[in-house]
Amino acid sequence: MTVTDRDKSTAESLRATRTYGKVRCHNPTCMGRLQPKPGDKTIKCDRCGMEYRIAWVKKGFPRIRGPVWDVNKKIAEESLAKKMKEGK
Amino acid sequence: MPLNRKIAYIDLSTGSIETKPIPLEIRKKFLGGRGLDAYLLYNHTKKGCDPLGPDNTLLVSGGILTATCASATARTHVMAKSPLTGLLGSANMGGFFAPEMAWAGFHHLVIKGKAKHPVYIYIHNGEIEIRDARDLWGLSVTETQWAIREELGDQEVKSMVCGPAGENLVRFANVMTGIKNSGGRTGMGCVMGSKNLKAVAARGTMDIDIAHPAEALEFNKRFIDQITSAKVNQTQGTLGTPFIWGATNSWGGIRCRNFQYNQCEYADDIEPERIDEICEETMGPYHMTGCFGCQVHCRAQYKIPEGPYAGRYDEGPEYTSQGAFGGEPDTPRAVTVLTGNHLVDQFGMDNLETGSLISWAMELYELGIIDSKQTDGLDLRFGNDEAVLEMIERICYRKGWLGDTLADGGIAASKKIGKNSFDYLIHVKGMSNLHSDERATPALALNIALSSRGSDHLRSRPAIDLYHLPEEVLRKIYSSPVPYDGPLSSEHTEYIGKAWQVFWQENCYMAVDCLGICKYHTTFLGATLPNFEDWPKVLYYNTGIEMTPKEIWDVAERCNNIERLFNLREGLKKDDPEKGDVLNHRYHDEPTKRGAPDVVGRVIDKKKFLEMRAEIYEHKGWDENGVPTPETLKRLGIDKEPSHLL
Amino acid sequence: MAKVLQINYQKCTGCRLCELVCAVAHDGKSNPARSRIKVMKWEAEGLYVPMSCNHCQDAPCMNACPVKAIYRDEELGRVMVDYDVCIGCRTCVAVCPFGAMSYNTKDKKVFKCDFCDGDPQCVRFCEVQAIEYVDAEEVSIEKKREAAERLSVAGKEAAVLFGQL
Repeated sequence: MTVTDRDKSTAESLRATRTYGKVRCHNPTCMGRLQPKPGDKTIKCDRCGMEYRIAWVKKGFPRIRGPVWDVNKKIAEESLAKKMKEGK
Repeated sequence: MPLNRKIAYIDLSTGSIETKPIPLEIRKKFLGGRGLDAYLLYNHTKKGCDPLGPDNTLLVSGGILTATCASATARTHVMAKSPLTGLLGSANMGGFFAPEMAWAGFHHLVIKGKAKHPVYIYIHNGEIEIRDARDLWGLSVTETQWAIREELGDQEVKSMVCGPAGENLVRFANVMTGIKNSGGRTGMGCVMGSKNLKAVAARGTMDIDIAHPAEALEFNKRFIDQITSAKVNQTQGTLGTPFIWGATNSWGGIRCRNFQYNQCEYADDIEPERIDEICEETMGPYHMTGCFGCQVHCRAQYKIPEGPYAGRYDEGPEYTSQGAFGGEPDTPRAVTVLTGNHLVDQFGMDNLETGSLISWAMELYELGIIDSKQTDGLDLRFGNDEAVLEMIERICYRKGWLGDTLADGGIAASKKIGKNSFDYLIHVKGMSNLHSDERATPALALNIALSSRGSDHLRSRPAIDLYHLPEEVLRKIYSSPVPYDGPLSSEHTEYIGKAWQVFWQENCYMAVDCLGICKYHTTFLGATLPNFEDWPKVLYYNTGIEMTPKEIWDVAERCNNIERLFNLREGLKKDDPEKGDVLNHRYHDEPTKRGAPDVVGRVIDKKKFLEMRAEIYEHKGWDENGVPTPETLKRLGIDKEPSHLL
Repeated sequence: MAKVLQINYQKCTGCRLCELVCAVAHDGKSNPARSRIKVMKWEAEGLYVPMSCNHCQDAPCMNACPVKAIYRDEELGRVMVDYDVCIGCRTCVAVCPFGAMSYNTKDKKVFKCDFCDGDPQCVRFCEVQAIEYVDAEEVSIEKKREAAERLSVAGKEAAVLFGQL
């Protein structure tokens, strides 16, 4: 059998790249790593300006709960208006 | 000797039952589960057979690893010709049924014919019995299961049942097991109903031999560590599948108001944390549950907190229910989602199809394409929670003109409704899409257009495309076990290299479906989860079958091609708006209005989409019409199908 | 020091992996009917309770065995079956108040939990830690802590209420 237990598969070796305590900005082209302080309820992405509500899965394990609606809606509307203008 | 597992042929018309062992050569070619089902379906149905007639063949199976010492291999696969699409019908569910069936002696069932009156099949330690189910007809999903346990006097019996929706031949009725495990797409419950088959019950205490028990146990531990170390699974194990709601809704990947918006605004009440709070109030701090042998435990337990169904126990709601009863009809309230989820669970109906069709009808109602006469006075406007819940029941029991119409599925309903209603139906091959909006993600758009069972996210979705992983990481994942040196892009709005990603994922998901593993344990939502490189070991330690990653890949490709052959035989044409590899025109014509800055204003470029489609046909070894070439079939050893070996 | 299995059924997700690994570790076969531990379920309510041998001090199985095949292994604090002596009469199965003694119809033997000689596989594989292998002395300390926390929270809430009066 060619199977050896020592070999790490690609997926297993990728585990080394895992980060805890950080979340990624939900803006897909940004994907900036954000590190909320323990107990923070919101966080703003410095790179793209999107703002999120934070929940804590457990201690040291934050998660984006959803957007801060008013901020992100404004950004979306501005961006859409700009794109539609460019399109014409 | 390992693999002492059998296949049973059951004819409900004559009552004949025949059992056979599954030869090793067939195993090596198709493994088991979905792959072997596809082979059996292609061999045991005739071209153009009536999906609701006795000639349709219903296949029930577990994967090749099901009931071995490998975690999360409890998937049950169900296959038949679909009464919803007229093409491939295929559904996969978790729970406890498939392992129980394996311990009862069978890994595959081939069910033909039609019983004269309602019956159920009981499988017990190598024996199969067809029993009277006239008393069970009309019972809900859970009532049926408890009644069977009562009748057989054994609380350990696991049953796979169809609910009232299946009996009423709702074209998208589910097969169900447990509280909420659903073989939920393409109407497999409807096929059960058409055969007068209320349930398949199993109870077994037979041994499944493990080829190398000590190694299998140790490797399983390593597998589990790999699975539980993934952040995505830890989150999922705390909040269930709704955990993806936050991300997809913030960037604008949710379909809202049928297809008018790509974000469900101010949907804070159906966020997983909110649902979690409600569950915790009624179920305590530990309210997650899992399928057989799985450490992800992604199912939440809940009791409906208020309303006419207050106090009812159920499990979920899954991400799909959030969309189906919250996002799409724009009724984003937790109690509506929990109640809707409970109703479809009890009726045995596809939550996704139900929610999609109701939202479609809502848009038609607001546009005046259907009116209050057709809705029997129901005010079917977006945001009307009561109308959504009422429609679920009307569809299940085919009540009223609209309930009866929608129960026949989108395409049939669009013909009955007429006008331009078809233009608003968000479907592929007659099956409604998940509540996701793929306009900003060409890879995902290609995935739903090509999926073998119609619009679907579990057949080829390269979900990690949204993570913007560095290109070298993508290359590591996507160039094994088959080398790939073509372009790959980390950019989710790009079209280049996406065809390969979809092709790779399609084979990956087919492989897990053949092995019987859950998709949360492979490269679906997490990039660090096991795939081709890890499976040969699990397979070898548990079954003694030696295969290389490439050989498993070949099995997947082979089975995908058989599914394609089946679809082509049943009338798939690549550009057919009803049965083709195409998207609704709105994907190409209406730009997205909401979401993250680079998601707004997006459409799928039709020309680029078609180029991408031609590219994936080429990867798959299909000609320009999407038909597998003779060389491809020869290479995969399926040029003589149907071969009737089993 | 003797350790015991501590089961917190509220944490159990009902996945039954413990049953699977128990059977494979002991018998090399996948079959929950061979498992020493069993998860009893009330699915309609979402209640799952793993049941296993408690290795009783005054063990009914040991007392009832007509041929004295069941003995106490003091080192690991476990109750064991001596298969050289056992006649397979299943008296122990009948008297166990927990149903922890089972009978295997294939090998024609009674069987029960043996703590896997000090490394219980059910514990090793239970990711949610519904089963733990703890020092016998510590068995109640976590419960005490939890109860104390409830008391202190109640106390604080009462103090707040009192302050509002």
